[in-house]
Order: sequence, then C-alpha cells, then structure tokens
Amino acid sequence: MLLYPLLVVYKNYCILIPIFCFLHGFDAEEDLVGSLASMSTNERIKAIQKMPETMRKKREIRNKVLKEITKKSRHRGAQCTQCLQGAAVSFRRFGNTLSEYFHQLRLWHKTLKIIGAEFGTSVLSYFVFLKWLLNLNIFSFLINFGFITIPQFLAAEPNNLSFTGLEVFTGAGYFQQTVLYYGFYTNATISKVENGPSYNMQLAYIFTVGIYFVICFLILLFSMAKFFSRNINSQTFSVNASKLLCTWDFNITNEKAVKLQQKNLHTQIKESLTEVNKEVRNFSVMERVARIATHLLAWLASLGTAVAACAAVYFLSINNLKLFMKGYRNDLESQAAMLVLPVIVSLLNTLIPFFFSWLGHLEKFQTPGQHIYVTITRNTILKMSIVGILCYYWLNIVATSESQCWETLVGQDIYRLVLVDFIFCLLGSFFGEFLRRIIGTTVCMNLGLPEFDIGRNVLDLIYAQTLTWIGILFSPLLPGIQMIAFFIVFFVKKVSLMRNCQPPRKVWRTAQMMTSFIFLLFCPSFLGVLSVTGVTVWRLKPSEECGPFRGLSSMYAAVDEWIQILQSYTASKWVVWIYHNLISSELFFFILSTILLVVTYLYWQIIQGRKTMTELLRKQINNVSLAFICIFCIIWLLC
Amino acid sequence: MPSEQAGFFVKRKISHKIQLYNVYSSTYSLLRDQNTLLHGRYHEMAPNVVPMDYTKDPDVKLPMQLIINMPELKENPFKERIVESFSEDGEGSLSFNDFVDMFSVLSEMAPRELKAIYAFKIYDFNTDNFICKADLEKTLNKLTREELTAEEITLVCEKVIEEADMDGDGKLGFADFENMISKAPDFLRYYF
Repeated sequence: MLLYPLLVVYKNYCILIPIFCFLHGFDAEEDLVGSLASMSTNERIKAIQKMPETMRKKREIRNKVLKEITKKSRHRGAQCTQCLQGAAVSFRRFGNTLSEYFHQLRLWHKTLKIIGAEFGTSVLSYFVFLKWLLNLNIFSFLINFGFITIPQFLAAEPNNLSFTGLEVFTGAGYFQQTVLYYGFYTNATISKVENGPSYNMQLAYIFTVGIYFVICFLILLFSMAKFFSRNINSQTFSVNASKLLCTWDFNITNEKAVKLQQKNLHTQIKESLTEVNKEVRNFSVMERVARIATHLLAWLASLGTAVAACAAVYFLSINNLKLFMKGYRNDLESQAAMLVLPVIVSLLNTLIPFFFSWLGHLEKFQTPGQHIYVTITRNTILKMSIVGILCYYWLNIVATSESQCWETLVGQDIYRLVLVDFIFCLLGSFFGEFLRRIIGTTVCMNLGLPEFDIGRNVLDLIYAQTLTWIGILFSPLLPGIQMIAFFIVFFVKKVSLMRNCQPPRKVWRTAQMMTSFIFLLFCPSFLGVLSVTGVTVWRLKPSEECGPFRGLSSMYAAVDEWIQILQSYTASKWVVWIYHNLISSELFFFILSTILLVVTYLYWQIIQGRKTMTELLRKQINNVSLAFICIFCIIWLLC
Repeated sequence: MPSEQAGFFVKRKISHKIQLYNVYSSTYSLLRDQNTLLHGRYHEMAPNVVPMDYTKDPDVKLPMQLIINMPELKENPFKERIVESFSEDGEGSLSFNDFVDMFSVLSEMAPRELKAIYAFKIYDFNTDNFICKADLEKTLNKLTREELTAEEITLVCEKVIEEADMDGDGKLGFADFENMISKAPDFLRYYF
C-alpha cells in the first residue's frame, strides 16, 4: 500500500538513480543471487520466470544461484544433499515430461486455438463451455456406469421384448427392460459368491446419485467463485483506458478478423465520443413515461407468451399420459404420438426466442449490453418455466397415476426430450447458419454472412444439461447419451462456424460472459434440479413393482432402514450419531446457516472498507506528488 | 497442413516446451533436444543463414522483415513493436535466444507480471519507459487503421490519461499501467 507514494518519489528523483545503480550495481546482483539461493526450489523457479530479463541473463543468474547452493551445501559437508538434489532434479524433469504428454492428450486443443484465432475469444468461450459440459457428462457417465450399472449386469433379468429400430427415437419398447431405465434395477443385495461380499443396490443407487450431486455442487461453486473473484474488479472505472490498451485480442491472426476488430474498435470509440457529447441530454417526462410503458408492455408480452407456452405444454402432457395409460402398442401411429410432446416443446423453445428478440428491437434500450441481458433473461425464464411445468407434471401427475412403473415413464419422457432437442439443435445449425449463408450470399446480398449467435447456443446447452441432470435419477445412463450428443454437436457447430459464419461484429466482454454462463448453470438450472430430485427422493412413493426402491414408502426410507441396521453394530455407532444429530437435525442446519450469513456479512463489510481505502489512497497520491513538485520548484528557485 | 494451422500447432507445442525451457534454461544440449521445433521455425525463415548446428553458438541474427512475416505475427498491428521489444540491439533483429524469449513470453504459460512488463514495452513507442500522449496516439492509429480524425484522437488520448494517470504527471508509468490492467480481467486471455 505504501508503494505508490514511494514510486512517485522514485520518479521525481530519477536523476539520482543511475548514479546509485553504478555504485551499487554489482551488490544488487549479489543480493539477488543470495535471496534466490535461500528460496525453495519451486519459489526460485517462479521468481526466475518472472524476471523480465533475456534468456541468457536468466541462465547466468540461475548458474550463479546453483553454484551458490552447492557452495553452501559443501560448507555443510553433505555429499548426500547433492545426491538428493540431483535426484530431485531428475524427478522434476520426469514429472515435466509426463505433464507434456498429458498436454498432448488434451482434447481439441488445436481446434480451440484455431477457432480463437479466426473468430476471437467470445466465440471461443462457447466452445470452451461445451467442452467443460462434455467433461462433466463423461464424469457422470463413468460414475453411474461403474457404481450402478455394472453391478446390475450381474443380476440382470432376461429381456423378452423384441427390438425394432424405432426404439432409438422413442426410448420405449425393448429399452424398457434394459439398464437404461430405473425400472430394470433390482432391489436385492447382489452377491456372486455365497456368504461372500455383497452389494446393496438400494444404498448404492441413492448414495451414488447423492454424492454425484454434492460433487457437482462443489465443482460449480468453485468455478463460480474463481470467475467472480477474477471479474469483480471490472468496474466502469477506466472505460476508455481499458478499451484502448486492454481490449485488443492478440489471439486473432486471421486477416479478415483483424480488420473487423479494428472497424469494431473504431465504431465503439466513435460511439463513446458521441455519447460524451450528448451526456447532458435530459429526457422529458413524456418521453420517460413512454419508455417505461414500452418496457412494461414488452415484459408483459414476453411473460404472457411464456405462460401460454407452459399451458400448452401442460395440456399436451395430460394427453400424453392418457396415451400411456392405454397401454403400449407397437404400431407406427402410437410411436409417433409419443413424439408429439417433445417436438412441440422443442418448437416452442426454438421459435419463441425469435419473438423475444423482435420485441427487443422494438424497445429502444440505452446500451446494447442491456438488450443482450434482457433477451437472455427472457429466454431463460421461458426455458426454465417449461422445464418447471414438465417437472410438476411428472412429479404430481405421473407419480400418482396408476401406471405400473412411473419412474420408467418419466425416464422415457426425458430421453425423448433430450433426443429431440439434440435433433433440433442440429437442424437449427443447418437452417440458422447454412441456409442463412446461402440466402445472404446469393438471394439477398445485403444480409451478408450470419454471425454465430452465442447467447442462443449457450442457453440451448444449459437447457440440455438441465434435462440430463433431472433425468439422472430416472435413467442412469442418460449422461452417456448426452455425452455422445455433445460430442457430435461440437463437431457440427465447429464445421458450421468455419464454413458459414463471420466473426462477431459486437464485442462481448468475455470474462463477464463466462461468469454469467456458469451462474445461469448454477442458479436456475442446478438448484432447480436439486429441488426436483429432493422432492422425488423424500416425498414421492416409489412404484411397487419395479426399481431398486420397490415397496418402500419413499426412496429415502432405504437410508433410514440402513441406519436402523447399523445401530445394532457397536463399531458404527458414530455413523448413527452423525445421522441423528447432524444430518436429520434441523437445529444443526439452522446454526450452520446463521454462521454462513455472519461470515458473508463480515466479508462484504471488508470489501466496502477496502473500496473506501482505495479512494483515499488515490487522493493521497495526487496530493503527495503535487507536494513534491512544489518543494522541488521552491528549492530550485531558491538555489 | 496450411501454414496458419501449422503455426498454431507449433504454438501449442512451443508453449509447453517453453515452460520447460523456462525451468531448465541451462545448456545448449537442452536447447537442441527440446526446442528443435522452435529452431526448425527459425531455420526455415532463412535456411541459408541459420545453421542447423548450434553447438558453437553462432552469432546469427535475422532481420525484422523476415520475422514479421511469420503467420502468427503477420496480421498483428503491433508486430514491429513486438519484435523490437525482444531484440537486444533495439532495431528488431532477433538472434535465436531473442526468438525463444519472444515466444516464451507470448505463450499461454508465461506469468501475468511478465506479460504486463512486455505489454508496457510494446505500447511504449519511444522507449522512454512511459506511455506518453504520443505513444497513445500511435497505438490508437494502429488499432483503428487511422480512420479517426485528429480531434477525436486527441480527445480519446486525453481521456485515457485522465482516467489512468495516478500521479498526475501527464503520462502513464508502469505502475499506472499495471493498476489499469489489474481491472481488466480479459487481459491475460487476450494477450496470447
């Protein structure tokens, strides 16, 4: 904190510094070598890397440091420290070679670099997000497959149904009696050998899903915290300075993209200059009222559309249920009827956003950033309310209906939704980018090449991931299917981007974007899924005839029964104690929440305090430098 | 492979090898073993001048004109400044060590402080260790292809100095620059 005034002093007395350097030059280097020699190896490596010298100079310094270290260790007369050091060096080299090989295995590293070079960092962030979701799904699939599906293979019942090709689209038929759905899993304790180790399927199912969600929660929380901490400083403090010196994307090496970036920056600077000139523009009362009225109307229209879409989905799904209750028939008509609900949901999700962006063009927003955020908010509300109404339908209507195995029905619904959403994503790419390019270059020349719509594509990804998370409890292999879908989507989007799109004209603030993506994934999406899964596990009665929880009053009752069994073993009394006093006790959670709130409030106050401190220091710097200039002038005048 | 794609492939390999080089920068044998890729690129720019064998530490420098034609730098508006900041003689000719230095700083694994120091050097056109108004004007011209009027340029540069100059001397020192980029979270991501 004191460095700023010191640097100012340094600048004002910089005449004297060269003399100091000449006199103390060699001493300075000896001091540096000494301080480096006393650091630990990792710190030393990092310190040498940070030095802004040429490679040759760094090498010299490093050799001097090594000589110093061997001199010191020779003073202590230890031969084995030298051997140890040699061993440590070769171990570190081995570690580095290994990590180099792992780097080469990184999937799509080269592709991502090429995309970043041609289209900039904002389009790249979509593909990075897609890759992150793909990794998450691979992790989910491996967990579920390893802990739930593989044991089930050992206790599998034979499948008597026949396979026709249409099951791939409807998920019903042959697939009903496979590991794909909840209904197939046994509630028994599996053991291959008599009196050998046994595997309790009930506990495995509930604990795998539970621990998976806890791990996801932690991953999302840490990613969000990392992005927030990096971006919390991006205020509008030095808007112009940042624009000039920090927004040039050095990653771009494509000639067209570079020219576009330059034109972009030119437009932005011109806009901000004209804004400066009309900053003192006051809206009259009438204009303000008109603007507020337009905004209100637009919001009413969008919320109304969302409600209408939800109502349509609700009535369609009630019809859907009637179809299932009639029983399963193998003919084409009933198979096609099963696909009506997913197709309508996907159509609503695809077409209504266009209506929202048209509304956005009608309203005149003050900044383009506001327009983007409002559109994304409306789209999120639409998608989440559709998912919400579907969950309500599944949990309240399907679960209490008289079907044989309601969890499998829900699993099949989700499978169809995921599949149709994937197909619509590919079609969207085809129509939105390929055909649009053909139209823009042949029929309607002034439209030009399409841009890659980052907001719409990211919301599609978040929607698909939400469906997958909801479906994990009912269809454990759904992450595997989503994994394959994301894989194909990556390639299709990449090819479509390279062939059909031009680099974006609007400059997005990339860091804020990534923060918003992860936040959207966490806040409506993941928390919603947690509540749905929570309600299913705690409140709903599992079906009597299928699945690992058949006959119990709720899925959570399996854990209760297990704790009862544990009470009779003295060795595991601590588990029982933790369960009764911590996990199922409300007092514990109340105390925990209070502590968390207090800590949050304290941190918030610390941040406010630091902001005030920064302002004070800034004023101090100005005053100090003025004071020194005055003193200097007075001394000069007096001499 | 088209040369642009080759460039990125090299950059990926280089970025990791550079980290190793940063850690074990010592002998020429290491140079040859682990930086053959970089050396290959250096050699192919001027095969007649650059020897394949570096054990005798030849004093070979390539002029700026050859280096700014590399695919990674060709379209960059600051290519001359980048090459000048890393050249030891200040005129833009790079020896192989300078070449490796340049890619080491521009790789994705270089520490933020190092990138900040070199970014400052790149924007400092008259090499006086301050970014003064003339430097900012030249930067602005390069960023917008000289399409702004003289008044607009002056206005923008004045605003920048007003916002970022902490100690009121009319130009940006390294401390001011570092303070400003600490508030720009995209800096590391954009700077290679």
